[in-house]
This record gives sequence, C-alpha cells and structure tokens, in this order.
Amino acid sequence: MSKYIIKRLIGMIPTLLVIVTLSFFIVRIAPGGPFDGERALPEVIKRNIEAKYHMDEPLIQQYGRYLFDVLRGDLGPSYKYKDHDVNSLIFNSLPNSIILGCMAMAVALVFGISLGITAALKQNTVLDYVPMALAALGLSIPLFVVGPLLQYIFAMQLKILPTSGWFMDGETTFATAVLPVVSLSFAYYADVARLTRSSMLETLRSDYIRTAKAKGMKQSTIIFKHAMKGAMLPIVSYLGPAFAGIITGSIVVEQVFRVPGLGKFFVQSSFNRDYTLIVGVVIVYSTILVIMNFLVDIVYSLLDPRITYK
Amino acid sequence: MFSKKKKNVTTNEFNQIVEGTSLTKEAWKRLKKNKMAILGLIVVIIYALIAICADMFPLYPYDEVVTEHQHLKPSFSKTSGELMLEKKMQDLYYNAWKQGRLVVGEENDAMIKNWIANDKTNKVWSYLLEAGEAQRAAGAFEWSKSDLSAIEKVEDKIQNDVMVTINGLYKNVNGKNTNLKKLNYNEIADIYASMLGLDRAVLDTSVEKELKMALVNEIKSKDSEISTEDATAQAEIDFANFSEKDFETKAKANVYGKIETQVKRDALKTVKANLKENPSQTFPYEEHQELSYGISADILATKTHDRRYYLGTDYLGRDMLSRIVYGSRVSIGIGLVGTITSILIGILVGSLAGYIGGRVDYYLMRFVDVMYGLPYMLLVIIMMAIFDRSIINLFIALALISWLTIARMVRGQIMSLKNQEYVEAARSMGASTARIITRHMIPNSLSIIIVYSTIRIPNFIMQESFLSFLGLGVQAPYASWGSLIGDAVSSMTLYPWKLIYPSLTMVIFLFAMNFLGDGLRDAFDPQSKNQL
Repeated sequence: MSKYIIKRLIGMIPTLLVIVTLSFFIVRIAPGGPFDGERALPEVIKRNIEAKYHMDEPLIQQYGRYLFDVLRGDLGPSYKYKDHDVNSLIFNSLPNSIILGCMAMAVALVFGISLGITAALKQNTVLDYVPMALAALGLSIPLFVVGPLLQYIFAMQLKILPTSGWFMDGETTFATAVLPVVSLSFAYYADVARLTRSSMLETLRSDYIRTAKAKGMKQSTIIFKHAMKGAMLPIVSYLGPAFAGIITGSIVVEQVFRVPGLGKFFVQSSFNRDYTLIVGVVIVYSTILVIMNFLVDIVYSLLDPRITYK
Repeated sequence: MFSKKKKNVTTNEFNQIVEGTSLTKEAWKRLKKNKMAILGLIVVIIYALIAICADMFPLYPYDEVVTEHQHLKPSFSKTSGELMLEKKMQDLYYNAWKQGRLVVGEENDAMIKNWIANDKTNKVWSYLLEAGEAQRAAGAFEWSKSDLSAIEKVEDKIQNDVMVTINGLYKNVNGKNTNLKKLNYNEIADIYASMLGLDRAVLDTSVEKELKMALVNEIKSKDSEISTEDATAQAEIDFANFSEKDFETKAKANVYGKIETQVKRDALKTVKANLKENPSQTFPYEEHQELSYGISADILATKTHDRRYYLGTDYLGRDMLSRIVYGSRVSIGIGLVGTITSILIGILVGSLAGYIGGRVDYYLMRFVDVMYGLPYMLLVIIMMAIFDRSIINLFIALALISWLTIARMVRGQIMSLKNQEYVEAARSMGASTARIITRHMIPNSLSIIIVYSTIRIPNFIMQESFLSFLGLGVQAPYASWGSLIGDAVSSMTLYPWKLIYPSLTMVIFLFAMNFLGDGLRDAFDPQSKNQL
C-alpha cells in the first residue's frame, strides 16, 4: 500500500510539470503583454520594467528561473497589482474558494446520496420520482442559468436571501453563502443522486445482499453495513471529475454572486494578461485537482478490496 | 448461402420463418417505445430546423441596432412605437409624481417608496402609468406644457421615422436592367465617379488608400504589439501582392458599399418627402426607384417604429427573438460540429492505439492520461482570454480537449473486437490493417460512439456557453445562448426578459437532448438502463 502511494505521488510530478510548462508558454507566446496600456510607455521605461521582471532574458532562461521559483513556493510578483505578489493574492482569496467548493461538494454528496438511496429503496413512488425529476433538471440547467435565476427569484423578488457578497468578509451573514453553494452543488447533486440510485439498485440485487436477507438481518443493517459500501464505489470514482467541475464552476458562481475568490481573479487576470498571476492560479488549481484525484484513488482502493495495489 | 440482395430469411428448428433484424432496427423499435426520448427527438428536430432555416423567417437582422428601441419589453399586441410612447409617459408620470403634480394618496406614496427602496422600479412605472392614465381620463390630472411637447415629439417621431432597405441596384443598359453586382470594378467605379462628379483617378487612389487602411487594421488586430509603421509597411507589401482577382473583389465591394450608402440616403429623402405629401401612405411598401445617375434601385420602405418585438429588445435595441434564433444557430452549430470533430479525432487515436497495441498504444494512452489530469477548462479559458476570440478559435480550443473519452472508449471496443473470429478471418484472407479498421471495427463500434456523442452534445454546448457567459467565447455582434445570458445578468431586475427567454430556450434544448441521449443509450444497450 505505501509503495502504491509513493508511486502515485511520484506520478503526480509529470502532470504538474506539464501544466506549469503549458500555461507558461501559452501565456508568453500570446500577443500583447502586461504593460500594453492605453498609453504607450517610453522605450526606456518599458525596457527598465522588463528588466525588473526579467522579461528581457531569453524565454528558456525565464522558464528555468520560474520553475526554480515555483519549486521554492514563490509564484513571483503580480504584473498588474503592483504592491502584491502572487502568493499573497492567492493566499487571500483561496480560502473563500476552498470553503465555497467544499460546502458545495458536501451539500451535493449529502443530498445526492441520501435522496439517491431513498429513491432506490422506494422505487417507483413519489420519493423516487421527485428527487429524480430534480436531478434531471440539474443535468439540463447549466450553472450560469441556475445562479442568476436563483438570485432573481430568492434575492431580488422574494428578498429572503442576500443578492451577493461573502460571509467571510466580515460584515455580512452566513446567509450570503446559501445561494452560491446551492447553485454550485445543483449539477453535482444531480449526478450523485442518479449514480447512487442506480448503483444501489444493482447492489440490492446482488447475491450477498440476498444472503444477508435470507439470514434474517435487519433491513437497516443490510443497507448501511452491506449495501452502502459496495454502492459507494461509483460515487467515489465520480468525485475526481466532480472536483474538476466544481473548480471551473466556482469561476461562474464567484462572478455571479461576487464572491472574492480565486475564480474571479482568474478571469480578471486573463483579461489583464497578468502572466504570473494566471500561471500561479492555474498551478494552484491543478495542484488541488491532482491531490484530490490522488485521494480519491486511495479511498477507492481502501473501499474495494478487489483492487490490488502495485 | 444467401446473396446480398435476398432478404435475410432463415428458418428455425421448427421450420418457422425467422426474420433477421439488425441492431439498429431493434434499437429503433425500443426507442419508439420511450415516449420522453421521442418527444426529445421531436424538439431537437424543431430546433435544428429553426436554426437551419433562420434566414427564411421574417426576422429583423440580429445585429441591427435601433438605439431608440433600447430595452423595449416583449409585447404581442403593441408596436415598438406604442411601447416607446408608453415608456415616455411612464417617465413623465414619474416626474409628475415626484414633483407632486400627480397625487396618488399617502398610502400609495409609501408603497411606491417601498418599491423604489427595494429596486422594483418596473412596478413603480407600471403603477404610475395606470394611475396617471385613470386620473387623466377622469380629468383629475393634466399634462404640463413641456410634457405635452415631449409627447408630441415622440408621436411625431413615430409617425415620421422611416427606414429604407436596398434590395438591389441596377444599371440601365440599352433598356435592360443589369444588377450592379454583376458588373466589374471598372464599370461600377465609373458610375460612382459620375454620381459624385469625381475624377476617376481621384476615386481610384482613394479606394486604394482605403483598402490599404483596411489591411493595416487587419494586421494590427492580429498582432497588437506591432507598431503602426511596421503594419503600414506590411500592408504595402500585402497590397502589392494582391492578385488581380483579389483586388477586383475587394475594390468592387468597397465601391458598391459606397454607392449603396449614397442611394440609401437619397431614397430615404424621397420616401420622407412622399410621406410629408401623403401622410396616409401605408407602410411597408416596396418600390422600384429610378435615380438620376442612370441607375435604379429596388427599395423597401418601412416605418422604424412599426416593428413588433415579441421577445423584447436588448440594450442596443436589437430584436431578442432574432438574436435568440441566430444564437441557437451558433450554439447548436458549435455543439454539433465540435462533437463530430472530437469523434473523428477520438476514433483515429483510439483505433490506432487499440488495433496496433504495443508501444503505440502505451504512449498514446499515457498522453491521454496526462491530458486527463489537466484542468482543461482553465487552459481553454487562458487560450480564449489571450488569443483572438473568434468562433473558430473557440471551436478549436473545445475540440482539442473533448476527444479524450471517445479515444478511450473506441480503444476498449476495438481491443475487444480484435480477437473476434471474423476479424481473424479477414486478416487471414489478406485484408490490410486500414481495411480491417475501417470496414470491420469502426462500423461495429459505431453504435456506442453515436450514443455517447449524443450524450456529449449538451456538454459541448454547455462548455461553449460557459465561455461565452464569461465573455470569452462568441463575440458581438454574434450571439450564442451563453453570451445572451451573460449580457442579461447584470440588469436582470430591470429587464428580466433578457435573461428568461434565452435561458428557457437553452434549457428546453438541453432537456430534450438529455432525454434523447438517455433513450438512445437504453435502446442500444438495454442492460445499461439503470446506470448513469
């Protein structure tokens, strides 16, 4: 097992390297630089600025310097926000994004799994139809429609929830988190509920459940002790893509509800061509993603004894 | 043995005739039983037809800006002129209320103030309009002088504003009308020179200058770092390299546009003069106008404020209905073409990896694995933010990332087919690898590919719309579902129709597509019915 973990940890390095390299070069090759304002700078000043940020060096040297800095955990200075470096910008906004993402994931999992199990147990009743209809809705309504619509209905028409803001900023209440979290989790609730229902139905039909029933076990023991473990496997493997989706989704949610998170920075810095910030954000996102995928694989192998780790 | 043309009739051990059916036929049979899937299919077909035939509907151009029609609300019964008047009156009633000329009672005052405090301006306007009209009818309220003149101004505008569309320009040659588009540059330039009383040489140099300017702008838009001098020099070189044909088409389009503008201006004058003489003139009307400089034009005269906007207008006065229809075309088009491209790439990579195996398979699949680990959408966002935001680039960025799953699927399918007897038979008869792949393997895995791609189309559309929503996808004046929704979000309390109709259009399509995809999957693979 520990061998497997080490192997997987080493396997993460090339992926991260590819990501850093790709985003570094895409950004540099692109036309237009961070100092192309509306006003053209005098040649000397421009050269001085470029020298300060080492932009006058050959591309390869810049890349090497950058890789070395990243390894030390330094993502460099921001080109647009002159008084900040990328580390502090990310450090200030990342907690908001992480909390938003984790809450959305938790909501999706709790509601998806519980409603999915009920739907499987009470197949072809109202308890099956309503959550599944909701799930079908969640699959077809994109996030950027759910967000504004919920905002329109609950914040602007009914006035029961705040329109925008974020509770970690201090002044506002926790209620600001409700709409962003609900809209971000909706699509993932849909997937989780459908997955849970179908895998639960399949597990309940398998032989070992029938054996347990024949031995006269309680229904609740069968479901929670025996069936759950098997039925959770597809959901665990779904978590990887779900995390990726939540990361991209949070970009939209942060825009719509004005959450001061990393996603908002990302879009802004892309428009500003703030090279170091863009690459920094991508590195942070990818690291989170890669770590999540790694954890998911570990959990999966723990849950399923049929998998041998090499 | 049966020859190919004969029907596939066999008998079973009881000598009953058993008709062979193909997988597709069976699947279609099962699909027909699934009502939701059929409904989805019908909806998708309707959308597709509307998107394809968009040009044939009597829609206003999706990019036509009529600033006076900014943010008109959707209405079936009222023309844009009536809505403009209503808006003006709401404005005036609101001012009158604020100045205390329109009295609605203390209780209602409090209610209005409450609405204003809660950003419900729409309610204030409609309430004041209703109250004001009722009071005016009862004689309790009268317009002030400045109000009256403001209303008159709008009414005058509604009565007199006309628009002219040129449907064709003709030159009279020997009593026969020839379309100007069919003439060459030389002839058209002669006409324009005589229209303005210009010297031909002067015109030629000015056209040349304009073409060069256009080139400079084009170069600059492609490369924002280039200096003006460099761009001009580059444009000079490009211009010198123009072929005869290039020059002819570009110069012709340039002069034709100029003639059209000139004719439009003149025709508008005539139409307006006609209207003044004969105010009861009915609109719209089509006319063949003879113009003084030996050319004639087919024109269509319409009243600007006679339009009807069934789904309202946006912030530039563009017709939302038309924008949604053309936006659907863009969204569905990108979804469809993107999916097809990703299928083609996926089939190519997957079948190579699956059939050849060994080292090729190993490296191709490691590549796919690494790509899987990448946060695609982030890279796509970077690409769209940094490079030219054209529809083509958007499409390339999306197609680049979406073939991975299909490649894996095809590879798996082909690996399982590789060891089947009929493939071995084909190989032993000397069929080449390419032939085995294209004739045996791809057709046999096509059904799952089709099913999977139907499931993918909504995803593709969502990704495109996601980018457009962020302002990184389709750019104005083009529209897509995502960009329409993105434009609407910031002002949705005031103009909810801008958000609601595009969202509804998109959601219905995605719904239909998802049901169709589910139905197809169940039909082709009944065992998968209970899986996601």
